[in-house]
Amino acid sequence: MGCSSSLPDRSSGQLAGLNSENGGVSDAKNLRVKLVLLGDSGVGKSCIVLRFVRGQFDPTSKVTVGASFLSQTIALQDSTTVKFEIWDTAGQERYAALAPLYYRGAAVAVVVYDITSPESFAKAQYWVKELQKHGNPDIVMALVGNKADLNEKREVPVQDGIDYAEKNGMFFIETSAKTADNINQLFEEIAKRLPRPASS
Amino acid sequence: MSSDSSSTSGDEFTNPNPNPNSTSKPLEDQFASAALTQPNNEPPEIQESPNGVVNGSVGENNHGEVESNEREGEVGSNLEARQSVRWRRTNSEVEVEAPSSPSSSGYAGERGSSSGSGSSGGFDMIGGGIGGGDDDEIQEVSNVDSIQDSQASWMPGKRHVDEDDASLSWRKRKKHFFILSNSGKPIYSRYGDEHKLAGFSATLQAIISFVENGGDRVKLVRAGNHQVVFLVKGPIYLVCISCTEEPYESLRGQLELIYGQMLLILTKSVNRCFEKNPKFDMTPLLGGTDVVFSSLIHSFSWNPATFLHAYTCLPLAYATRQAAGAILQDVADSGVLFAILMCKHKVISLVGAQKASLHPDDMLLLANFVMSSESFRTSESFSPICLPRYNPMAFLYAYVHYLDVDTYLMLLTTSSDAFYHLKDCRIRIEMVLLKSNVLSEVQRSMLDGGMHVEDLPTDPLPRSGTLSPHLGQPRDSLESFKEPFVGIGGPAGLWHLCTVVYFWINMYLLSSHHQLIAHVNRKDYIGLTRTFMLPCMI
Ligand SMILES: Nc1nc2c(ncn2[C@@H]2O[C@H](COP(=O)(O)OP(=O)(O)OP(=O)(O)O)[C@@H](O)[C@H]2O)c(=O)[nH]1
Ligand SMILES: [Mg+2]
Repeated sequence: MGCSSSLPDRSSGQLAGLNSENGGVSDAKNLRVKLVLLGDSGVGKSCIVLRFVRGQFDPTSKVTVGASFLSQTIALQDSTTVKFEIWDTAGQERYAALAPLYYRGAAVAVVVYDITSPESFAKAQYWVKELQKHGNPDIVMALVGNKADLNEKREVPVQDGIDYAEKNGMFFIETSAKTADNINQLFEEIAKRLPRPASS
Repeated sequence: MSSDSSSTSGDEFTNPNPNPNSTSKPLEDQFASAALTQPNNEPPEIQESPNGVVNGSVGENNHGEVESNEREGEVGSNLEARQSVRWRRTNSEVEVEAPSSPSSSGYAGERGSSSGSGSSGGFDMIGGGIGGGDDDEIQEVSNVDSIQDSQASWMPGKRHVDEDDASLSWRKRKKHFFILSNSGKPIYSRYGDEHKLAGFSATLQAIISFVENGGDRVKLVRAGNHQVVFLVKGPIYLVCISCTEEPYESLRGQLELIYGQMLLILTKSVNRCFEKNPKFDMTPLLGGTDVVFSSLIHSFSWNPATFLHAYTCLPLAYATRQAAGAILQDVADSGVLFAILMCKHKVISLVGAQKASLHPDDMLLLANFVMSSESFRTSESFSPICLPRYNPMAFLYAYVHYLDVDTYLMLLTTSSDAFYHLKDCRIRIEMVLLKSNVLSEVQRSMLDGGMHVEDLPTDPLPRSGTLSPHLGQPRDSLESFKEPFVGIGGPAGLWHLCTVVYFWINMYLLSSHHQLIAHVNRKDYIGLTRTFMLPCMI
């Protein structure tokens, strides 16, 4: 399990500096991308990240404050690696005004909603519009319907997610941080869609 | 589309532009004036209301109240005819024309129906029965260990959300805290669901504005065993209803801290929301912060820092603290406003940029915020926070990272772009701390359980004798508190400081009238703490 957390991330510390703000691409074989997660409070953004980065799921709710930073590197089949530098933002309303701080310069935005909550789907659409207006124009966007394990309580039909994503040129996937369903796929798909720097 | 919720507050919280020197003044002034108006034990302006203004719970008398002991939860409810209501006013010597009964002034209807406690409308006092075993009472604390026990056994988070003011259990709670807006909208309640308490909030608001309309301000209402303490902060009202027998000054100080905690999360610019819309509902802005407030309120009953306006230091060898301080200083020189290393609620080391000084109350609120927000433990975070005593109008940005289970580093900056720089700083700090064994020393000190009263020598000068395992200082008894104090430097000064502080803490916790605390020799205290590089402002 590739669970290198962001904590012992000492080696890259010196590099991190401000260039990470530019969504820094390092070289053709080893990509470094800034990824931001947005979405209503409680949809499971932190759970998705912790599942991806540490392979864990903790059902106790830990409302994010401000934003958390984690990183994870994955290897693709074509022997390139992608290091995700992830900003897991707080969905609480009081932090909404700070979102630009975290999505500015991001190469990837993952907009998450909870398939059992139409309000969270509406909030996801709000974020998509905000990103279209103020985000990096080349940003790769993914729409994620989380808590797919709660299918019996579903209130947002899969098709609604697919349609909305298609209309907005986004990649769409339903995930479950609880069962780990589609979590790695989400990040692999994103990695595949990243614009590759022209190799020198 | 639910964008409305986030756009209402959109521009209110974006100004990361601190101007501490000019803007922090008003708050300081408020505190200063608060200090000036601190009333005496027996205020002259007491009015005995002949017919008993408070109508709640008559008949649940507990005639054994002489023996009553709040620690046992046996506060009697002598809400009888002889009870008095005391209106303490800020700016008038004139006797208050206390309303003969609040129920006559027309706001009784706001309340929901009364439950089995026999109230007849009006301003029903909470409680009036035998309080259930609550968690917030001041325990009889005779040593540090039991303080720690009370920390360990307490679970954060709001409980009893199902209650409202019609529930008997809610009324019996011994200490309520409320935040409401000046239009009567509930913002926070320690117990029960805020939204269900709208009627009760409106009642509190009515009392406050009734007195305000008379050009005056209500500070305290005493009714039987209960004290109702009010604090008005612009459009925000804070109220404590308590039968814990803590003095007015303590309860008011607690309300000040609760208000400070709210500012730490939102800054004072929330006031603008009320200017735009007096009926503004603030609860969504505080979403997810119940634990922050409940853990602060819990700390009122165990953490002396909440009333001493000083912070607790983790006992460490001089060289260890020097090592920690040196690297923090290094980082502060690179543009960090404050660098703070803490273990739980205890300070390991603290460094500020030139001229910047951190008020102990801000430290307390910041530490409480970080420790009660579980998400800080999972990974490094970058979050806006406001230090109300530093600049209540603006956000600072806090980089927070746990170095081990209990030890965390906070780096504060005014720049919203500084994350990567602060992350680098943390990596440097962490390396130095590991190399110089600071973290393991910290853990050892924590295991030792901090300072014990019996570690304190009677004599300010170290002498030969049994060495305490904790501090390498002679053990002795506590007889000599009254000994004159000789000089404030060196280890002797520190022992004196600890001795004084612990003596008073114990006195405070053991006395039912906690007034004794006021007698701490402030000069000694300030002088000493300066000497020891850890400023405590009183
Ligand atoms: N059943 C189920 N529950 C989930 C799933 N993902 C998250 N949860 C639950 O949803 C709650 C909220 O998850 P978080 O990851 O903290 O939500 P968040 O989006 O980070 O919320 P904020 O930090 O407030 O923005 C937690 O209690 C999780 O247990 C999932 O895939 N399935
Ligand atoms: Mg989260």
